[in-house]
Amino acid sequence: MKILKLPKEKLDLFASVVQQFGELHAPVEQDGRYVFKRLTRWSDARLEYDRTILPPKKYFLPPREALFRYRPGEGFVPNTDGLDQRIILFGVHACDVYAINILDRVFAGKYKDPYYQARRKNIAIIGIDCLPDKQCFCRSMRADFVDHGFDLFFYDTGDYYQALVGTALGDDMVLATGNLFEPVDAAEIDDYKRRSWNKRRAFQVDVEIRDLPEIFEMEYQSEIWDELGEKCLSCGSCSMVCPTCYCYDVADDVELGSRAGKRTRLWDSCLFASHALVGSGENFRGSRSSRIKYRFYHKQRGFVAEYGRPSCVGCGRCVSACPVHIDVVQVIDRLRRVEDVASR
Amino acid sequence: MSKPTVGIFGLTGCAGDQLVILNCEDQLLDLVSLIDIRDFLMASSENNQDCQLDLALVEGAVLSNRDAETLRAIRKRSKLLVALGTCAVWGGVAAMNRGADRDADRDALLEEVYGDIGRGYDSTPAQALHEVVPVDFNITGCPIEKEHFLAAVASLLNGDLPLYPEYPVCTECRMRENNCLLIERGLLCCGPITVGGCDARCPDLRVPCVGCRGPAGDANAGSLVAVMEEMGFSRPQLAARLRTFAPGGVA
Ligand code: SF4
Ligand code: SF4
Ligand code: SF4
Ligand code: SF4
Repeated sequence: MKILKLPKEKLDLFASVVQQFGELHAPVEQDGRYVFKRLTRWSDARLEYDRTILPPKKYFLPPREALFRYRPGEGFVPNTDGLDQRIILFGVHACDVYAINILDRVFAGKYKDPYYQARRKNIAIIGIDCLPDKQCFCRSMRADFVDHGFDLFFYDTGDYYQALVGTALGDDMVLATGNLFEPVDAAEIDDYKRRSWNKRRAFQVDVEIRDLPEIFEMEYQSEIWDELGEKCLSCGSCSMVCPTCYCYDVADDVELGSRAGKRTRLWDSCLFASHALVGSGENFRGSRSSRIKYRFYHKQRGFVAEYGRPSCVGCGRCVSACPVHIDVVQVIDRLRRVEDVASR
Repeated sequence: MSKPTVGIFGLTGCAGDQLVILNCEDQLLDLVSLIDIRDFLMASSENNQDCQLDLALVEGAVLSNRDAETLRAIRKRSKLLVALGTCAVWGGVAAMNRGADRDADRDALLEEVYGDIGRGYDSTPAQALHEVVPVDFNITGCPIEKEHFLAAVASLLNGDLPLYPEYPVCTECRMRENNCLLIERGLLCCGPITVGGCDARCPDLRVPCVGCRGPAGDANAGSLVAVMEEMGFSRPQLAARLRTFAPGGVA
């Protein structure tokens, strides 16, 4: 991995040069919160944002996307609109890059999703380091640092950004800027280490994930699930905003007066009453408590068994998006505690 | 194959749902070539009021004995009966005070509203269609979404029932990446318990959802009310809002 530095005053210049590699998207402010959006001006970018309402997942797996059109006699015509669009996501936090790496395992591993893969190929990622706020627990989830999944990753180390070059494309971006980037020297390596140390100490939330799948296994019958089921609204907000919730539904829109139509996929959530409803009318997760339990088990236990780590990256989005304050950190804490009788 | 026969009717309502059908301008020609609309008072003065129907779409709530009779007659003539719009599905605004007006002295109420001529007027506590006759499926909304009506016709012509979202408005609101009016601004937004399908039309314009589409599939009103009370809203205030469109659904 190549490590370089970019003087901060040259970031604007870098941003303008890099646009030859794709349309520039970055976090912009929206009523006090942030969203990833196409930039009309570089000055709209807010690189010191906390978190975006929706994660970058929306670029790789859009909330609604047409998969193909079908017509009797003609068969299927896959949708390719927008798949080859080159985009640069500028300012993606480590946890969100980590989450995309997790999505890769699901959509570009054993089962290959051509739509996802096309977008993943054409969307470049320039990451940026951040400092945790009171909802971040990415460090506990081992997602506060990423060593792959990005083209470039910037660390703010005072007067400049230290840049990790992750891919050949990232390298091309650096080269295209001529000599904007410089080699790092010993003093700057120290700056990086200080930054890294300070970040580590800035975490206010900590959850222990070691042996958590086992504790989940033991607490399968805990009353906590009923209690959460009473509270949960099945509103799906937590799934929509989660960078690693990838469930989707598919639906056909039939054309008026023919058997032709369009197949669309759209985000789904295991919290919906319809999620485990099958054609016979049977619902495998009819009760809300079984559904909210399932969300936790899938993230913190099932995913570990399948992919070796929890799918939660600790971004904190679901905590702030839940209207009834269901908080993953609190739930894990309570499950671990011996003295918490309410969880029995 | 002969075209399916269709009737479109209004009981007590604002006719908004029928208007949505008439507003399908780009599809109207296709529609009339595919279905045989025999009885649609709002659109035509030449109607066949007795023929058998394959499909009846009925808007409005049942607010009188006459409404109830009309509805029963429609049910008898039609193979399928679809409730069109929130009033037909849930009772709607006419039913918002139903608990109270059921117990009240009807004549006194009528006099209060209509004056002397009110006494003896044919008026009953508002009911949704399914409380009077069996309903085959619902197209909710105040008014309905044009796309949902067209999808229903397209599906029925293929021998299928249409599928509509059962998840709440929040889901679509989040998909559209809106700031949350409830969580961030403390506004009384009914999105978490109101059925989606409108693409979060109101929160998208930064106006809280008032629940016009009626309750979501598994609406947990009790939990939302508890949180809203913690936020400082009073029970009567919450009850009034939740009952506005679907008194039987959530409160
Ligand atoms: S479960 Fe919550 S904290 Fe974990 S990744 Fe998803 S949104 Fe973030
Ligand atoms: S955001 Fe909260 S209320 Fe909504 S589905 Fe998730 S846990 Fe349930
Ligand atoms: S604004 Fe309303 S509809 Fe949108 S997410 Fe918040 S509560 Fe749900
Ligand atoms: S957001 Fe709520 S009030 Fe607005 S159209 Fe949708 S259901 Fe009706």
